[in-house]
Amino acid sequence: MTLRSLLAIAALLVGINTANAFPVGAPEGPYKDPGITDTEIVIGLFGPESGPLRNFGFDAMGAAQMWYDMINKTGGIWGRKIRLVIDDDRCDPTALNAVIRKLVTVDKVFLLNGGSCTAAVVAGQEYVTREKVPLIMLNAAGDGALFPPTRYVFGAFGGTQLTVGGTLVDFVAKELKAKKIAYLGSDDDFGAANLAAGKFMAKKHGVEFVAVERVPRNLVDLTAPMLRIRQANPDAVIITTYPQSATLAMQKVSEFQLAMPIVAAVQAVPNPASLVKTVGNLAAFKNFYYGSPLNDLTDGPRQKWVIDMYKRAFPDRKPTAFMAYGLPSAQAVTYALMLAGPNPTRESFVDAMSHLHFVTGVMAGPIEFGPDRRDGHNASIFIKFDGTKSTRMPGVYVNEFRGK
Amino acid sequence: MGLVAQAVASGIVTGAIYALIALSLVILYKSTGAVNFAGGDVVMTACYIALLVLVGFGLPYWLAALAAIAGLFVIGAGFDRLVIARIVRQRHAHNSLVALVIATIGLSDLLKGSVRLFGYTDNVQTLPPQFTGPPLFLGNVILLRQDVGIVGVTCVVMLLLYAFFRFTRLGKGLRATADNPRAAVLIGIPVQRMRMLVWAIACGLGAIAGLLVAPKILMTPDMGVIVILAFAAAVIGGFTNIPGVIVGGFMLGIIENLVGIFISTAAIAVAPFIVIMAVLLLRPQGLFGGNPTFRKV
Repeated sequence: MTLRSLLAIAALLVGINTANAFPVGAPEGPYKDPGITDTEIVIGLFGPESGPLRNFGFDAMGAAQMWYDMINKTGGIWGRKIRLVIDDDRCDPTALNAVIRKLVTVDKVFLLNGGSCTAAVVAGQEYVTREKVPLIMLNAAGDGALFPPTRYVFGAFGGTQLTVGGTLVDFVAKELKAKKIAYLGSDDDFGAANLAAGKFMAKKHGVEFVAVERVPRNLVDLTAPMLRIRQANPDAVIITTYPQSATLAMQKVSEFQLAMPIVAAVQAVPNPASLVKTVGNLAAFKNFYYGSPLNDLTDGPRQKWVIDMYKRAFPDRKPTAFMAYGLPSAQAVTYALMLAGPNPTRESFVDAMSHLHFVTGVMAGPIEFGPDRRDGHNASIFIKFDGTKSTRMPGVYVNEFRGK
Repeated sequence: MGLVAQAVASGIVTGAIYALIALSLVILYKSTGAVNFAGGDVVMTACYIALLVLVGFGLPYWLAALAAIAGLFVIGAGFDRLVIARIVRQRHAHNSLVALVIATIGLSDLLKGSVRLFGYTDNVQTLPPQFTGPPLFLGNVILLRQDVGIVGVTCVVMLLLYAFFRFTRLGKGLRATADNPRAAVLIGIPVQRMRMLVWAIACGLGAIAGLLVAPKILMTPDMGVIVILAFAAAVIGGFTNIPGVIVGGFMLGIIENLVGIFISTAAIAVAPFIVIMAVLLLRPQGLFGGNPTFRKV
């Protein structure tokens, strides 16, 4: 798919799925909100540019940046160029709060586009709500800031943790025909969300959870939970832990010679090749799958256009697996600015965001918001990985659980 | 039965790791009075040094292991010389304990920050297991050769350490320094040098633990949190009783697994702390510690 055709489809879908047709007119001040003039609109773009979690957001920020650059090169939005003020939140809640306060009060941005880590971005919700500044998350799952929905915060362009849990069970039930599932997840709110959606989808498909093991993040020996799972004799095992626990679990799969399918969430397998290396036994991957919110393998044909675009924008960088995650939020911002008309306010921008429905060209499903919906993406694809080769499984799997 | 036996066998392996790290903490505490909160990060740093030598420089494993142990030996000695010695020299002795703790926390942050510079921290890493081959079966119990190796090497290291402190002149000097530093000075033992040596040995011991555990628990810059469990093992065994600490480590590993099997996986994380509380309530000196001693102040 070329970029031109993608833009055309996206614009068409945005137009069709919104109550407003494109407004007409020309930019004309004075403007009610800061960060906007006749010639430019200022966006605060932030994410982890440093620190231990840099990998989650650095390339995603780059993807957003290249989208805004492309929009500027094609004339901007309503004749206005986008000017980015970029800052580093280190995925740290305190740092993120300082960054958004600085962007709003010192740099006087019109809106905020950022946040790659849920805990950090949730910490910023109270401030943006009080100041009525739109916050469009970059690539954080952001469950805590999206349920219940609040007016100014939009996110989950890669899906929430509900999406992760729900789509895993959808896949296991539909594709693997499993009737008895074992679940290994983390003992925090991520794990709780995965499990809640998973149980909902299991009920829908008539699937039973025969073992539910929730482990602390820093547990160094997964013998006990994996023995309990082995004893439950499930048709398939779902793993939604963080990478280290997932790797330890796969070591136990190898040690206990478990033969049932193992299906891991995207957060458990940030780098499949690295997982194989650390597990150290190819036999453990005989029946292994993992989910992805993207529409293809990271080097698959449907991702090629965004990889090529990124390489053109940043010739000296090698995109990581998280790169494409940063694109949809920038797309959403630009589409909503288009829809908000020639003289947007923060409020009209939020109204436009609330009606967005578009295809990104990189994610598994469409981005859909609504008056009472702030989580944008709700689908996953699944990939079979035998330890050396990744193969995309047919179909797109959807979570139907919308939270309490 | 097979389930319990497997849990106990795996618990012994994990316990050996706790015991070895706890040992590095305890010999330091016994000899210098310092509680090393950077003990876990010493383990972590050794792993990344070995990885750097192995992957970055493409050298064989034995050289990587040697570099890690030597590197941490030097870091330990250097830390004592540059930081601890200055703190100990301060006149206000009643503040020095706090200063020592802060210094080790500082070392922890320094080590964590430093390993991130080398670019291996983006993904979970590991070191190649040195004991490979098909698993061993004892009835229903599956034993990985690496696990057997971990327990074996841990036991050998403990025996060597015991022999060093018991039979060598240097070891006896270290014990004398730990028991009564003033008397040690009077009979001509260079106490400062001894303290530096203890820091070096403790860090070297941490490095050995790191090399053993890396294939088992995997490497991340945050793997140093394992030190909390080593502290737990030390408290259970008796913080100043070396054989007790070793038993405490093994006990902790087994208890964790049995709690996970019979109560809940979620209870594994709190089990060590419940055991610590019980030990402190019923036997404050630890299960194998001597009678508590009190000093007039």
